[in-house]
Amino acid sequence: MNLNGVNFRWSLIWENRAILLKGLATAIQVSITSLVISLVIGLILALARMSSKRAVAIIASSYVSVFRGIPALVSVIWVYFGWSLLFGHNFTVYQAGVIALTLLYSAFFCEIYRAALMAVAKGQREAGLALGMTRIRIFVSIIMPQATKIAIPNIGSMYIGMVKDTSTFAVIGLVEVVRVTQNLNSVNFQPFVLYTAAAVLYVVLAFIVDFIFRAIEKNLSTPPSGRLSNVLTRRRRERIEALINKTG
Amino acid sequence: MAMQSSDESNDSVLLELKGVHKSFGTREVLHGVDLVVKKGEHVVIFGPSGSGKSTMLRSINLLEEPDSGSIKILGTEYGPGVKGGPQVKRGKPLELRRYVGMVFQQFNLFPHLSALQNIALPLRATRKISLHDAEKRAASELESVGLLPWAASFPSQLSGGQQQRVAIARALSLDPKIMLFDEPTSALAPELVGEVLAVMRKLAQTGMTMVVVTHEMNFAREIGDLNVFMEDGYVVARGGRDFFDNSTNERAQQFIGSVL
Ligand SMILES: Nc1ncnc2c1ncn2[C@@H]1O[C@H](COP(=O)(O)OP(=O)(O)OP(=O)(O)O)[C@@H](O)[C@H]1O
Ligand SMILES: [Mg+2]
Repeated sequence: MNLNGVNFRWSLIWENRAILLKGLATAIQVSITSLVISLVIGLILALARMSSKRAVAIIASSYVSVFRGIPALVSVIWVYFGWSLLFGHNFTVYQAGVIALTLLYSAFFCEIYRAALMAVAKGQREAGLALGMTRIRIFVSIIMPQATKIAIPNIGSMYIGMVKDTSTFAVIGLVEVVRVTQNLNSVNFQPFVLYTAAAVLYVVLAFIVDFIFRAIEKNLSTPPSGRLSNVLTRRRRERIEALINKTG
Repeated sequence: MAMQSSDESNDSVLLELKGVHKSFGTREVLHGVDLVVKKGEHVVIFGPSGSGKSTMLRSINLLEEPDSGSIKILGTEYGPGVKGGPQVKRGKPLELRRYVGMVFQQFNLFPHLSALQNIALPLRATRKISLHDAEKRAASELESVGLLPWAASFPSQLSGGQQQRVAIARALSLDPKIMLFDEPTSALAPELVGEVLAVMRKLAQTGMTMVVVTHEMNFAREIGDLNVFMEDGYVVARGGRDFFDNSTNERAQQFIGSVL
């Protein structure tokens, strides 16, 4: 293809598909690891923020205020270069990426969980207490399942943000999509073609992530409407059927 | 428990509230409530909105922690104790709630669980019982409120009346000694009130001790062995079966006249 005398070599994308996809795989790996860790830390932060102990609540909310505002690029440079300057210990680029993302997104997940936990009706906890359940059991079996369902769509969009933020880790040399694209471009001088490929990869991944989270949401709805939950709850439904027949 | 065997007679005291005070912020909404409920007795509590009926009921199972006052159930004291009263060993809320079932105005079923699981989960959580036994018990409780065919349904698929019946079955599955009802039919469409009252009537006939906050005056007349009229955080008047017709308390009569 030739436009304004520029020659676009679209075939480059196909020729380099393996390395581009490997970059995408790295982005997914770093972001999923960070997702899992920051979901756990975010939940702990949310509980701390809602704690009746003022000091605990203030520490958690300060953390959120600070880290919510830091860009991923700044965070990763700080973790990768700053840490080694300060403590003489080097993280691998992979570790630095995971730590940088986790620091930031724990703050976001804290807020998402907090909103979701507060959205669960007060009567739910009271019913659990009146039934003689312990606070921990109420949290695990009654509050969390309902809060998770509320939080899922927001977690999904946050995760798409996490994937995109991995692109800034090119700066520390993590061989993710953008770094691969930069490398290919320095040899081929085809920025338009190569960055279009990168953009398409991100968009397609975001599309898939959205699809997956929608499916999760559907399966968590009550009554569940997804295919997965149909399979997962079939035995329980059969058991209830049997009970109805036996008792009735 | 040998000492309590004499308490098993029918007019033994099951629940005793003494000097229950409760404030929200600086406002005191219960100004020292006393109440004695005998085994098998059906107590009706009524009074205008904001008079402290719910707060009183919720103090019984310590969903509201009173500022002072004692709650005595089956011989054990719970709560902070009466102001200036003797120091006795007090039971934990978790233990108290084993004996007390509660039904809420808003049903408070767990929306993410089926009717059957709504009953089986608390059973599993509060006693050592297998999943199979818990579900078997849940099924038989559902059957006794006529909802066995709805065992697999989720709360969102049930009518308000059905949800409240599940909530009653859920509380009963834990073998409470006393059942508290906080306006159990107030959130229901008029045509659904009857089915819930029918379940409660049946329960009353089995001899269950009940404390019911309600505006259903006909139902109150029907089951109320002890009728308690509250206003502004005080028990203003109380009386037996003839209370609704023969109470000498002017405020109570006015109120009864206004709801009927
Ligand atoms: N959690 C709370 N925080 C602050 N004030 C409260 C709280 N719960 C109840 N109150 C206040 O205490 C008073 C008694 O309330 P309560 O709910 O016990 O009344 P009630 O007799 O049950 O009224 P209703 O018939 O409307 O249910 C009311 O003035 C109410 O506003
Ligand atoms: Mg009330």
